[in-house]
Amino acid sequence: MSSVPQTVVRDEFEAVDLGSASHGDVARKLTIFERIYEMDSVRKFSILLLLMVAWEMYTRVSGVSELILPKFSDTAAALYSAVAGEQLLIMVWNSMTILVTGYAIGLAIATVLTTAATMTRFGSDVLSTLTAMLNPLPAIALLPMALLWFGLGSESIVFTLLHSVIWPVALNAHTGFMGVSETQRMVGRNYSLKGIVYVVKLLIPAAFPSILMGLKIGWAFAWRTLIAAELVFGGSISDTEGEQAGGLGWFVFANQMDMQIPHVFAGLFTVILVGVFVENIIFTNIEMRTVRRWGMQSS
Amino acid sequence: MNGGSSAVADNTAAAAVEPILDVDGVTLQYKTKEHLITATYRVDFKVYPADRFVLLGPSGCGKSTLLKGVAGYMTPVEGAMTLKGKVIKEPGPDRVMVFQEFDQLLPWKTVKQNITFALTNGGKCAKQSEAEDIAMHYINKVKLDRFEDTYPHMLSGGMKQRVAIARGMAMEPDVLLMDEPFAALDALTRLQMQEELLQLWEDTHFTVLFVTHSIEEALIVGSRILVLSPHPGQVKAELNAHQLSHESVGDPAFGELKAKIHNMLFADRILEDDLEGKGQQ
Amino acid sequence: MSKNVPELVMRPEFEAGDIQDAHTGDVERQLSIFERVWNINGVRKIVILFGLVATWQIYTVALDVEPLMFPSFTLAAERMLNDLFYGDLIWKIWFSVKVLLYGYGMGMGIAAVLVLWATASRLGSDFIATATAMFNPLPAIAMLPLAMLWFGLGTASLIFVLVHSVLWAVALNTHSGFKNVSQTLRMIGENYGLRGVPFVWKVLVPAAFPSILSGMKVGWAFAWRTLIGAELVFGASSGSGGLGWYIFESSQNIETEGVFAGLFMVILIGIVVENIVFRNVELKTVNRWGMQR
Repeated sequence: MSSVPQTVVRDEFEAVDLGSASHGDVARKLTIFERIYEMDSVRKFSILLLLMVAWEMYTRVSGVSELILPKFSDTAAALYSAVAGEQLLIMVWNSMTILVTGYAIGLAIATVLTTAATMTRFGSDVLSTLTAMLNPLPAIALLPMALLWFGLGSESIVFTLLHSVIWPVALNAHTGFMGVSETQRMVGRNYSLKGIVYVVKLLIPAAFPSILMGLKIGWAFAWRTLIAAELVFGGSISDTEGEQAGGLGWFVFANQMDMQIPHVFAGLFTVILVGVFVENIIFTNIEMRTVRRWGMQSS
Repeated sequence: MNGGSSAVADNTAAAAVEPILDVDGVTLQYKTKEHLITATYRVDFKVYPADRFVLLGPSGCGKSTLLKGVAGYMTPVEGAMTLKGKVIKEPGPDRVMVFQEFDQLLPWKTVKQNITFALTNGGKCAKQSEAEDIAMHYINKVKLDRFEDTYPHMLSGGMKQRVAIARGMAMEPDVLLMDEPFAALDALTRLQMQEELLQLWEDTHFTVLFVTHSIEEALIVGSRILVLSPHPGQVKAELNAHQLSHESVGDPAFGELKAKIHNMLFADRILEDDLEGKGQQ
Repeated sequence: MSKNVPELVMRPEFEAGDIQDAHTGDVERQLSIFERVWNINGVRKIVILFGLVATWQIYTVALDVEPLMFPSFTLAAERMLNDLFYGDLIWKIWFSVKVLLYGYGMGMGIAAVLVLWATASRLGSDFIATATAMFNPLPAIAMLPLAMLWFGLGTASLIFVLVHSVLWAVALNTHSGFKNVSQTLRMIGENYGLRGVPFVWKVLVPAAFPSILSGMKVGWAFAWRTLIGAELVFGASSGSGGLGWYIFESSQNIETEGVFAGLFMVILIGIVVENIVFRNVELKTVNRWGMQR
């Protein structure tokens, strides 16, 4: 054996009096500038502002054709005039009405399917077979069939929206229900919860993270399907139903046809605004009040 | 706890008191994807009021399955289980269960709401205000005042189990069923929880049916111990442990009984080396 | 409240002498063959699939439904096989898949660069957060009119919208995945002296893989939907052919069984990508690592 180091035995030691630290403050407040800069929203807002200024500068300096990239100021003006004089708001309203109709009916059907799937194994097998098959099928691909079955009208769009909502919602809700822990199920049954009360008071809240996920995916697909359907529709039925027939997608499409590029950008802005509103305000709020607060979601 | 002997009624009184729970020749089976498993085979035991009745055995002796049977989550293929003379058919609030898993608290309800949820849905309280009073009483009992409006995910493991125990006691069930409630806690917290449980029992002498795989825990917590053999679970012995508590851990009597049970369990040479260690998983 | 507490009931101890063997049959009994076959998920699902197809066929044949409105299963299947082997359906599929792969690849590449920038600097992180919040809710298909203006009627426009549909979903998920990598794992990585790109590649990417993978799946779903949608719109405006165009063409010519044949192919490709490609990646990574059930 080579020589191993030995333990060095030293005197014991106990601190008697702890003097207060005299090295600056233990906690120092940051300066105002530092604190403002720490605010996420301030930084993000300034980035947004910076992007707009860069856009405006670029279009002014390079003299790029307005048909390729309009100035930011022109886009803003177009947005204003579209809202003020060209019924953009009514078009947004038209789109949202169809979207909400499709979404609501889709949710109802998904609820029925999920209930059947949760009650019996046969139902569960039917649902998983159907979702495996139909979930990867883009709803928009059904539009030609819908046009054939329901004609040129909002029924066709609602039909495709249904398809885009039902499968992700049913799939996620079902996985959510299946994933409710055995312990929580037993707790519910311990208090003699049965049937619909058991589902409403126990299964739904316990599976809520998953259900909410399904609702969000369903919304995302429905929103994309709606805009796409209106773009396609734009080509086929633009003038069959009067001026107010179109939605937001149609507004973008028609203005592109007329080479009103600032208006196309204005339309895209509106699409973004609606999307941001639904995702970052409605859904984020629901999330904050439920799954985040309950600690059922990590991030 | 030290009141053991004073709390004990006269030996002859046994015949006069009716058992609360009577398990008579119960065989329980369940199916997995591939197999049909017999968990317990013709198990008999009687639980009397104020018992701290422990089901003790190595993993695989069907003790948790037996508890689920008593709770009404499983029906026996043979034999019968009666609670106060009525055959147990389904789960009900007269037998409240405290589980090992921390997720037994509903994460979308605060500590207080978890208890009032049980009280109002279990048919114990018709009015919300009444339920809240009872809930606060038991929250204080388990020393969780100031935490009544906290959501479970903010609590530590020991606190969660305290809430679950408070919820179980608030229901004032005929028998409180505890399925290894302290197994997932760290050693120090477990000791503390065992002690608190005994203190709570001192107040009202509620009836507990307690499942554990730790001999020591059985001796400390239990007043009567049912020792089960594994694969399938069968009764090996029913022993008294009411005279033992934390204070007697070092006593020769404690050691003797511990060794006796240990021999009983390992006589079959089915070496379950995780008998003690499984709790720390 | 404890006036009349019940007292412990003493009773004699009891020990079982010899435990007799259990004889209610076996401790473990195998389920019957029928029970076990029925327990296999695949078997039940195939039976259901057959049931659905049979219902469809019987419904259309028995009620004599007009094939232009709703063709029978056999008609649609026949048309599909016919076009696959004797027509140019296979080339149309290849065209779509090729465009999709280009777009997906480019989208992933750009997302990787953006996320790298975001991990390196706070400006990048803020930029990516702002950009994804803005562009993620914007359906890629809405960019198609602009793309057609900038890149003309060709594959370049399709690829542009595909990139847009993939980029934000992937960047968003990867970025939030990176942010949620546990501090412990980061410190372990730094402990071993990993910095910069090796740190990202060897620690952050595997640790955030569940999130990255889910971003890739969402990106694929959006891209696939966008592509089919774009080809339908394109169909309306020009006419260069992928799978979406095949569907559009069939519906314009009122060849409904052709529409169904196209839908079959769309479903088939979707199933291959989601249930075979992504499922396998999942099994070999996050499931195996126990990061996801």
